[in-house]
Amino acid sequence: MTLEVGGVARRPRVNLNALLIEGRAFLALVLAVVIFSLLSPHFLTGDNLILMTRHVAINATVAIGLLMVILNGGIDLSVGSIVGLSGVVSGYLLQGWNIPFTDRTAYLPVWAVVIVSLIVGASIGLVNGFLIARLKIAPFIATLGMLYVARGLALVITNGVTFNDLRGEPQLGNTGFVRYLASRPLGIPMPIWVMGAFAIIFSLLLNRTPFGRWLYATGSNERAAELSGVPVRRVKIWVYVFSGICAAAVGMLLAADLPAATPRGGEFYELNAIAAVVMGGAALSGGRGTVRGTLIGAFLIGFLVDGLVLVGVSVFWQQVIKGAVIILAVAVDQAQQTLHRHRAGAKAVRAASGGPPDPPDRAVTIQQQKVTVT
Amino acid sequence: MTKLLTSVVAAGGLVLVALASPAAASTSVAARPASAGGGEMAIITVDPSNPYWKAEVDTAEAVAAELGYSTTVDAHTNDPDLQNQFVDAAISRGVDAIILDPAGAEESVGAVQRATDAGIPVFLVNAEISEQGIAKSQIISNNAQGAALGAETWVEAMGGEGRYVELFGNPTDNNAQVRSDAYHSVIDQYPDLELLQTETANWDRAEGKTKMELLLSAHPDLQGVIAGNDEMALGAIQALREADRLSEVIVLGFDGNQDAADAVVAGDMVATVLQPIVQGTTLAVQQADTYIRTGETGVADEKQAIDCILITSDNAGLLDNFVLAEAGAEPTASSEDTTPQTSSVTS
Repeated sequence: MTLEVGGVARRPRVNLNALLIEGRAFLALVLAVVIFSLLSPHFLTGDNLILMTRHVAINATVAIGLLMVILNGGIDLSVGSIVGLSGVVSGYLLQGWNIPFTDRTAYLPVWAVVIVSLIVGASIGLVNGFLIARLKIAPFIATLGMLYVARGLALVITNGVTFNDLRGEPQLGNTGFVRYLASRPLGIPMPIWVMGAFAIIFSLLLNRTPFGRWLYATGSNERAAELSGVPVRRVKIWVYVFSGICAAAVGMLLAADLPAATPRGGEFYELNAIAAVVMGGAALSGGRGTVRGTLIGAFLIGFLVDGLVLVGVSVFWQQVIKGAVIILAVAVDQAQQTLHRHRAGAKAVRAASGGPPDPPDRAVTIQQQKVTVT
Repeated sequence: MTKLLTSVVAAGGLVLVALASPAAASTSVAARPASAGGGEMAIITVDPSNPYWKAEVDTAEAVAAELGYSTTVDAHTNDPDLQNQFVDAAISRGVDAIILDPAGAEESVGAVQRATDAGIPVFLVNAEISEQGIAKSQIISNNAQGAALGAETWVEAMGGEGRYVELFGNPTDNNAQVRSDAYHSVIDQYPDLELLQTETANWDRAEGKTKMELLLSAHPDLQGVIAGNDEMALGAIQALREADRLSEVIVLGFDGNQDAADAVVAGDMVATVLQPIVQGTTLAVQQADTYIRTGETGVADEKQAIDCILITSDNAGLLDNFVLAEAGAEPTASSEDTTPQTSSVTS
């Protein structure tokens, strides 16, 4: 009975809470834009906004995939390495793929190169998911290992060199990788389109499908979700696959942008992506977070980093400020969480004492707090 | 869903195996044991994913194999702790010599000392340590001399005036500061050359492009770029190309890697500076071999600075993977106190 009361009382507050969290990140973003446009006349120009959004899109796309994992209560440290690996795989295939055990070289058309690279990203994610869901390895450890494995594979494939010629040859029929992936349909660079597409797809997935409900449920309380029939393991595997696919897409965009596929591509991207997800109001413990919030987080961190360069802040202070803003954002988030928990607790006590007088007050209070804390 | 998952992992696995196998075959060549009678050399480098250090590793392996040694290769990525582990591992294996590209001038003294105490001679290439008398040889390329050469060419192309930005290397890497200082020792003599902003791009091409895009936003009228290495310069060139400013902006690189040489030939980069890493590494391995056989390196000075070579459109076509085909093919080792011989180098 107590559980029911807690559940009913909580629902509207959670919505309000989520709104406040996103509102706060959005407010910080607006503040950053105002400050930087006052400090630099070049900040708020159309070209520069498109440029900065393109930089943001790279991080945001990785972050959207990572959000799926974090909603599940996991973490994926291997995304940066998957970015590098996917770029290198597409670079390698465009140079000509020496089919093993033969002297033949295959030149795949661009669409096939893109699909193979996405499959490579998805299968790294699948291995992550298998290690975590089946072999019960902690997500931090499994994906930390995969960070090195995927980076190592990128080095093995390239033998340490950078693939420069990604344009393909017309007579081999594999041109267009750079032309399409670095193109600007309607004046908007391709990475921004990709970010938009991934944002819509994953928003729909989270809000309109059973999978989305399962994901939030497993992230909030895995045991309870499992008991109510959610395919917990399958959800857990799929989130890492999604994360791998997002990272692989970014790897190709990055390679087409340079245009060169380097085995070092995407180093430390996992850290920027985690920062974006967390600043967007997601909880690292899982069950809380939205695509919209993650996008705002990515814009905040991207505009901050680029704005500091535009304004001409010294290189060393840029890092200090970036770190401080991340900590501040999460600290405010935590304070807000605590506040809401207290309020929820107090309200529950009031509701309980004003209700049927049968149960002793203290017992209800304790039970209520337990419910809200979990 | 399970069926789909299984097929995806099967496809992915196949692709990775297929991709990895040709390269795997080539790495096994590196691990091939040398002919009998030779000992073992441990090669400890920085980061073979950069073409510069790749050339260092390839040269060291090739020369050592020629002299009959087997080799192992480790990369410390400028992390002194990793370097310590690799040096300790080499000591416990009892290798005959260590060829080391040190991770920091101060940080590496201890590791070199431990190996020397254990009776294993250490030969440093590319960078130096802050103490002498421990390593048998320290063979470094003269970064300051090379950067000054590059800066002179760049100033000339700028016509002695204009507004420019600087892309700085990894701030914790000593060479980033050395090169920057040498650039400015030349450029700052021209009061009409105005430095607009300095940004770090951590030696990286992608970061070089990102930073250059922002710098172009902040300073739409910039006319020149000096970069601490070729990778950052190549990133900047791509940003300039997309902004349609490449023909008006003069870019300077450093290292002499193949992509940069191609950019110089194409006229995208005004000049780069070849670090004679192949010569330096060759000398280090040869001296290690001489020391193992005779107990002497055969060279008077421990510290040997090799002059860098300017690469412009005149000679960029002759550059093949860090080796200049004709001019300056002979390694010119000079002791530390010798002044750089710019005249012989520019020829």
